[in-house]
Amino acid sequence: MNGAANGSADPDLLWYRDAVIYQLHVKTFADSNSDGIGDFKGLTGKLDYLRDLGVDCLWLMPMYPSPFRDDGYDIADYYSIHPSYGTLDDFREFLDAAHARRLRVVTELVLNHTSDQHAWFKQARSARDDPRRDWYVWSDTDDRYSGVRIIFLDTERSNWAWDPQSKAYYWHRFFHHQPDLNYDNPAVREEMWKVMSFWLELGVDGFRVDAVPYLIEREGTSCENLPETHAVIRWLRSQLDAHFPGRMLLAEANQPPELVRPYFGEGDEFHMAFHFPLMTRMFMAVRLEDRKPLVDVVERTPEIPATCQWGIFLRNHDELTLEMVTEIEREFMYEEYARDPVSRLNLGIRRRLAPLLEGDRRRIELMNGIVMSMPGSPIIYYGDEIGMGDNIYLGDRNGVRTPMQWTGGWNAGFSTADPERLAQPLISNPLFGYQAVNVESQLRADHTLLNWMRRLVSVRKSSHVFSRGSTTFLKPANHRVLAYLRTLGKEQVLVVCNLSSSAQAVELDLRSLAGALPIEMFGKSMFPRIGELPYILTLGPYDFFWFRLRRV
Amino acid sequence: MAEGSLLSDELLRHLMAVGQVDVLVGVPTLNNASTIGGVVNAVHQAFGKYFPRDRTVLINSDGGSVDGTQDVIRGRSQDQTETVTVSHALRTTHSISTPYHGVPGKGSALRQIMTAADLAQAKAVAVLDADVASATPEWVASLVQPVRNQQFDYVAPIYSRHPLDSPLITQLVRPLFRAASGWQVREPLAAEFGCSNRFLAHCLEQNVWDNELARYGIDLWLTATALYGGFRCCQTMVGPRVAAAAPGRPGFREVFQQVVGSVFLLLEQQASSWVTRVGSEQIPIAGPAADGKGDGQAPGVSRLGSTFRDDLRNLESVLRAILGEGTLRELNAIAEAGVEEIRYPDALWVRTVYEFMGAFHRGVMRREHVTQALIPLYLGRTGSFLVEQSSRNPAEVEGALEALCVEFERAKPSLVQYWNQAT
Amino acid sequence: MAQMIADAVSQATRNFVDSLAIFLPKLVTTISIIVVGWLIAIVLRTAVRTVLRWLSFNAWAERSGVASLLKSAGLPVADVAVGAMVFWLVFLGFLLSGIDVLGFPALQGLLAGFAAFVPRLLVALVILIVAFVVANFAWRATLLAAVNARIPSPRLLSGAVRWLILILAGAMALEQIAVARTVVLTALAIAFGAVMLGIAIAFGLGGRGIARRILEHQFPERERSGVDEISHL
Repeated sequence: MNGAANGSADPDLLWYRDAVIYQLHVKTFADSNSDGIGDFKGLTGKLDYLRDLGVDCLWLMPMYPSPFRDDGYDIADYYSIHPSYGTLDDFREFLDAAHARRLRVVTELVLNHTSDQHAWFKQARSARDDPRRDWYVWSDTDDRYSGVRIIFLDTERSNWAWDPQSKAYYWHRFFHHQPDLNYDNPAVREEMWKVMSFWLELGVDGFRVDAVPYLIEREGTSCENLPETHAVIRWLRSQLDAHFPGRMLLAEANQPPELVRPYFGEGDEFHMAFHFPLMTRMFMAVRLEDRKPLVDVVERTPEIPATCQWGIFLRNHDELTLEMVTEIEREFMYEEYARDPVSRLNLGIRRRLAPLLEGDRRRIELMNGIVMSMPGSPIIYYGDEIGMGDNIYLGDRNGVRTPMQWTGGWNAGFSTADPERLAQPLISNPLFGYQAVNVESQLRADHTLLNWMRRLVSVRKSSHVFSRGSTTFLKPANHRVLAYLRTLGKEQVLVVCNLSSSAQAVELDLRSLAGALPIEMFGKSMFPRIGELPYILTLGPYDFFWFRLRRV
Repeated sequence: MAEGSLLSDELLRHLMAVGQVDVLVGVPTLNNASTIGGVVNAVHQAFGKYFPRDRTVLINSDGGSVDGTQDVIRGRSQDQTETVTVSHALRTTHSISTPYHGVPGKGSALRQIMTAADLAQAKAVAVLDADVASATPEWVASLVQPVRNQQFDYVAPIYSRHPLDSPLITQLVRPLFRAASGWQVREPLAAEFGCSNRFLAHCLEQNVWDNELARYGIDLWLTATALYGGFRCCQTMVGPRVAAAAPGRPGFREVFQQVVGSVFLLLEQQASSWVTRVGSEQIPIAGPAADGKGDGQAPGVSRLGSTFRDDLRNLESVLRAILGEGTLRELNAIAEAGVEEIRYPDALWVRTVYEFMGAFHRGVMRREHVTQALIPLYLGRTGSFLVEQSSRNPAEVEGALEALCVEFERAKPSLVQYWNQAT
Repeated sequence: MAQMIADAVSQATRNFVDSLAIFLPKLVTTISIIVVGWLIAIVLRTAVRTVLRWLSFNAWAERSGVASLLKSAGLPVADVAVGAMVFWLVFLGFLLSGIDVLGFPALQGLLAGFAAFVPRLLVALVILIVAFVVANFAWRATLLAAVNARIPSPRLLSGAVRWLILILAGAMALEQIAVARTVVLTALAIAFGAVMLGIAIAFGLGGRGIARRILEHQFPERERSGVDEISHL
């Protein structure tokens, strides 16, 4: 079936393996028509900025019509654009402009559920014998699948919700206004492929597939990661490969890596999947000043097929998830990163990167330095490249979805509407507010976070060793130093990070690399040639080095 | 190794890698290969279970074992303790095994551990003996937590055991130390303890380390230093202490001489601190209080026979130089009174001990001879006490032991008198 | 005749006066040497006593058993005794050198004899003192070890040790001062042989038990006394 699964066929088909992805929300990125809500015209105007940042791919959060009770993840119509964001023509224009700048575009695909405002659900609940009735999961009692956990513990009390109209319960794994689609019904699968084809025809380069593990329900199971779910995905993937080679599917499965691994299948399910625990463990390691949690999780991560790739990230639009950690680890993370209970949500912390790290530039750089040198395709959450702040008092996860801060002027340059009309209020505190943190001012100086991020991305993209190379941890006796070797063929990069707030000395056993000349990749400066003796490095607080190892 | 340094370059490299720590557990060893594994396991489990978020390190200071003790510890590297995921330490747990240099004995091992702890800025330190077969993770927790959470500087353990057990402690060391020092420590000689950074820094400044006390009396010295130095001290329940039988362990007589010699020597060196003290103070118990009954079984006692009387006769010429005339006469009297079963009363025993201490201080003969001459009397007294108490329940025995302590305190003026006579 | 007598008398008188003129300064010298020596000896005695007291020599003497030896011999306490010894040695030295100045041949012979004898006497004395200290120590050590190890007849054993050392030392001391060497040596050889024979016989006949116990102590199966069975610590 697949030209895409065969890595040697056309390297361009595997573009996602080397990509640096930028995640953004159309609603809060740029507003062109002064209605306080971002739109595709506004976004199109900012594409040069994104190209200059050096990213390869944009991941847009849901832009479909929606009642916005879950920030667009409750889709009311799969075939059009939310009117506030513009028209389908605006979207086509944006897509062409992005492709012209060699930027690919990945959109959201919510397979698991729809909004209860979707026409399908309205029809399904209208009568028990309606043909659409079986598109959702219904029950007369609320005790089926009783062992299944509830994900949004803070808001939902059951996975079943009562529909007074048709006098029955419907199944929902997320909010009660998001009824789960019934994938046991072939008609639902066919319809979803139709949805995908619609957007792929338009030129979309891939989908980020939301809430993957929950597609199918079976009594007596956790209703997560079922084999039947995998079958649905394999079918969708085969359709994709047959009709649209080179397009990509990215799975959102918030699970430990060994449970995510099946979603890659034999290279016949997802192309990419997020590595959630890596994110949590990076924060843990820096706070503990101990590489152990990070090394543990990477070493526990199973091998994936050559055509697949991990999606790795520091922060995204959701809370920093603590679902997959132990009780002790969660307690630690809460105490270290979320002293203020308001910043805790469900089993996680709703904060952006910069406030999590107390605006500490050195730590922000270190964390970005780690995520950009780890195996996987790094994802930058919009605003984190300039160190934007958040507003934990906005409810749900809206605090990390405030408008992009372009300038220090009116509405941060996001919109010319009245501030009261903005889709989300701006951050305006003295530390992270738009007057202090914005693109315009950071473009003016060389040493700003934004310019540093541009350099980081360009160095990262200077070699495929970061995206495709193997990873070997060195484990020096000093546990505050994280050191690993990335190897791809003859190319080798040595990464050494000081996870602690104090200067550290480390002795690396590099005998196997004797004779190599380390060249620091940012400043291109030479370091002493590696010999038989322990290689001694000293690193300042939160310092890190990327060395290209050359043989001369 | 740099001249005059306590720490080898290798150890320093290890410490550099370990960096600052919160909890440091030290284990001095000398040929403990058979038991060290259990102790090290208990320590690592404690790290995972009770200090999962703390920076931890285990340091073994070895006196030159030839049975592979160090290999056992090195074999248990940082990654091998991942057995229980629930109680998994978040951080890297380091294990260091290093030989110590200098005078052989526990003092040098402790000095090395404390110096390392000082460099690592350990917030709390616990030291465990390598031969304890009954050490559990809770031991480490009880010794460390009062330091970590309640800002105590020195934590002495309370072992749960039958009150008739360990008579050398209950008949001699505990009451004598209590009366002389004025502090009610249940285990002044405990080989285990917990302490703070502040305390160990103070200890390292003292000049005990090349002194003869460092060899056998360091445990007692630490207790005394903590108490006299005005540090915040507490006691903590750790459970029964079962020492593993190891070949080559010194016999009772040697142990007696080391213990009693150390007690006398320590009290002599620190005389200025206690001579004027009157009465005694309690030391708070951190964590659950002692039940006072103790576990363990009452030791079986057989009759003493006539050895006491014979010993007295044989040693008369030596004892005459040590004991007052009245004391010697009374001893002879009790020896004659009960040939099969002697009755050695508290008051006489207290007088005996005090006169021995005075003789030790005056230097009427070589000091080893003074302590050796006490052995037959101690055995007589112990036998007498055991026979007398064997039919009573633990609470009653505990009461009798307390009465002995009180008698020691009551007679303290006479000790001070013997003391001042000599000086 | 009278003249001869007068001459003789005057000659004798002159001779007497002459020898007196020669002798008197010698005598004065002798007396002053003796007086100065006496003073020096007193100063030295005081110095020695002070130094010894400062070194707490008496305590050592008590510990080593020398004190009780002195006491039983009716001598003063240790530092006084040593001081007296130093005093007399120094004073005698000065006395003799003072007499030497007078130049009487008979006295000079005696002096030479004394000068030769003093060091030997001193050595013998030192041997005796050391031996006494060692014997006392060995006696107590043996006694305590034997009692604590439950070896029977500890007093006999330790007494034997003590007397062996003393006898040996006595022989060495006598050897030093070389008094009736042959007689002493023979007597001692006989005594020593007798003791050894006695010990040998005693061990042979009655010592099997002791030997067994010693072996038992070296390789204990279980300690004997009831109190020994419990764990003391």
